[in-house]
Amino acid sequence: MNRRFGSVVLDTAFRYLVPFILVYAVYVLIHGEDSPGGGFQAGALFGIAIVLEHLVHGDKAFLKIPGTWAVAVAGGGALFYGLIGLFCILSGGNMLQYGMLPLMQDVVERHVLGILGIEIGVTICVMATIVAIFNALTGREDLL
Amino acid sequence: MIQLYLQTGILILMVITGVAALLVDDLLAAIILFSAFSFFAVLIYLTLGAPDVAFTEAVVGVVSTTFFIIALNGLRRRCSK
Repeated sequence: MNRRFGSVVLDTAFRYLVPFILVYAVYVLIHGEDSPGGGFQAGALFGIAIVLEHLVHGDKAFLKIPGTWAVAVAGGGALFYGLIGLFCILSGGNMLQYGMLPLMQDVVERHVLGILGIEIGVTICVMATIVAIFNALTGREDLL
Repeated sequence: MIQLYLQTGILILMVITGVAALLVDDLLAAIILFSAFSFFAVLIYLTLGAPDVAFTEAVVGVVSTTFFIIALNGLRRRCSK
């Protein structure tokens, strides 16, 4: 990270913007219940950070989800969401009835943990979808 | 009352930027005008009391502007004609 790349503007913008975008995305994800935000916005912020890193560093980017892996990760996020819903059914409740999750906490905390789980799934799905669109537009689809 | 004037002004600016984005010949200028349209949409969502929708619109506006510029880079022409 000590090596200079591109121009001064790119260098400064990357070094100051991307860490704050990543931290803000985590804040939006975790704190999304009491303030504006949630899974979609956090995923879009993660996607913006990865796309910005690609735009500055090109092929030498270190925050990357290469090629067709992006689509697979997006499917993994949706699968995570679905598995939580299915897990609630297997525990004897309805689809996404978080109160039936077999955890040690009381009902309210189980609700919070279940909602946080599906928000994490949505975040992964949205982030990987944005990176997949970016890969398709810049012709990096086939790189594995 | 001041909120009504504010919303009217933002709506007029939205119409101006939207029509200008449709009519302008330079594609890069159309993208920039569309992102201005998106920003005014953020402002009108905020004045209507929906900060969640405004946040989503701001994030999606940034992502779509980036994607449009990358697609324009691959198109290898700048003019709509």
